[in-house]
Amino acid sequence: MSLIASTPANNSLLSSGMESERTLYPYVTGTSVIGIKYKDGILMAADMGGSYGSTLRYKSVERLKSIGKHSLLGASGEISDFQEILRYLDELILYDNMWDDGNSLGPKEVHNYLTRVMYNRRNKFNPLWNSLVLGGVKNGQKYLGMVSMIGVHFEDNHVATGFGNHLARPILRDEWHENMSFEDAVKLLEKCMRVLLYRDRSAINKLQIAKITEEEVTISQPYSLKTFWGYSAFQNPTKGAEGSW
Amino acid sequence: MFRNQYDTDVTTWSPAGRLFQVEYAMEAVKQGSAAIGLRSKTHVVLASVNKANSELSSHQKKIFKVDDHIGVAISGLTADGRVISRYLRSECINHSFTYESPLPVGRLVVQLADKAQFPLEILNVGHKSFGVGVFLIVEADGRFLLDQVCTQRSWKRPYGVGLLVAGLDESGAHLYYNCPSGNYFEYQAFAIGSRSQAAKTYLERKFETFMGSSREDLIRDALFAIKETLQGEKLTSSICTVAVVGVGEPFNIINQKTIQELIESFETKEEEVVEAADQGAAMQEDRSPEGAPMDI
Repeated sequence: MSLIASTPANNSLLSSGMESERTLYPYVTGTSVIGIKYKDGILMAADMGGSYGSTLRYKSVERLKSIGKHSLLGASGEISDFQEILRYLDELILYDNMWDDGNSLGPKEVHNYLTRVMYNRRNKFNPLWNSLVLGGVKNGQKYLGMVSMIGVHFEDNHVATGFGNHLARPILRDEWHENMSFEDAVKLLEKCMRVLLYRDRSAINKLQIAKITEEEVTISQPYSLKTFWGYSAFQNPTKGAEGSW
Repeated sequence: MFRNQYDTDVTTWSPAGRLFQVEYAMEAVKQGSAAIGLRSKTHVVLASVNKANSELSSHQKKIFKVDDHIGVAISGLTADGRVISRYLRSECINHSFTYESPLPVGRLVVQLADKAQFPLEILNVGHKSFGVGVFLIVEADGRFLLDQVCTQRSWKRPYGVGLLVAGLDESGAHLYYNCPSGNYFEYQAFAIGSRSQAAKTYLERKFETFMGSSREDLIRDALFAIKETLQGEKLTSSICTVAVVGVGEPFNIINQKTIQELIESFETKEEEVVEAADQGAAMQEDRSPEGAPMDI
């Protein structure tokens, strides 16, 4: 992506390590994640693309992961930072399990923990370049929230990151309602993902949908959406502008 | 108790495998004024006896609110109790801040018990702590942890206070007892401090009913248990403190006036019961000790 070597390589042996190493730009990025609440829990969708600038370089990146027993995390933005976040959460859940006392961290706790991490990193000018969607169910309570790379966080019935905010949320605002059935919710998500596929340059046609309910977490196998390109306007694209391509 | 050559240091074992300093610390708890706790499925009640040194002074605070869902009653060296309460409040508030969720009581109790064994620095590995007060230490990964180091180094002796920790969390209402040895136990009902045996006897008789008790019944039983420890002295709201935490009710210390009214209403009931028994059985000398309010 950026060939400008504006920052010196940080693996210099002469460097005392006090040289500030911080994220300046993202390199391998994932695009939108969408999450919605439905009757039994939360549904999330994300495609499997990892872009290296404008190149769609990696096409099997899993951007939806389950956290503990009660939560699901989806991330857009820098993939390596997402992997780092997964490491932190792994440790967090491990210590939680080690208590072995019948208490467990629910989605609200994980969401707030992530907010603290993201905000503190932002304060040190070394952000984790991600927008995170955190959803889950615990004790019958559904929870869906978002955290951005600067620590902005909120909860809602439907959330999206990146382009999803601009393209998917208007659809969700119109068509989402409480207690949607699983099939309806999936259809709605697919509708949003299709729009993103058509209009977002970094989206690829290979997506996963993840579901979390009180009982279980399932992340689907990757699949593709059907697209339609047979519009008459595409038949002779230069009709209105002779000479263009 | 016994003076012997193995009791100078908390780090010295006796040949019998005992740590005398720890045992002496537990004695300090027994000398303190009584505190009792009991719990039902939905509520936990703490009560303590407050003896003021003289009529002119106020009495010592022995019940502390730690968070909306946790409170403690202490017995023993109340100064240690205050420091510990500060630690407990700190732990609770840190947890709430990071996770936006109340710290489960069981976890707080374990952390407190561990503190009896190790100074706090060892528990938080990979951590720089400085001499004084409370610091915000920012870790490399951006999380920040709170470390508390007391400059008086009072952790070099076991703390001389027993704590009854009452709290509510997802798994229900809990009552724990933390002792200076670092052990902790969960209880249905318990009493600590001087003359607590009388209260324990009372509680042992009635504890099976507590799980299903209403809030009012629990408070009444707490007051009766406190009365047992007073050994005939009159129970008034000025010498006891009662606090309750429950589902939908954050931890709060009950107003003195309310307690006085409750005490009076219990005594009236007792009187009525006794009078009915008198009329029925005509056994004049068999009045229960509680039924003599005219002797004020």
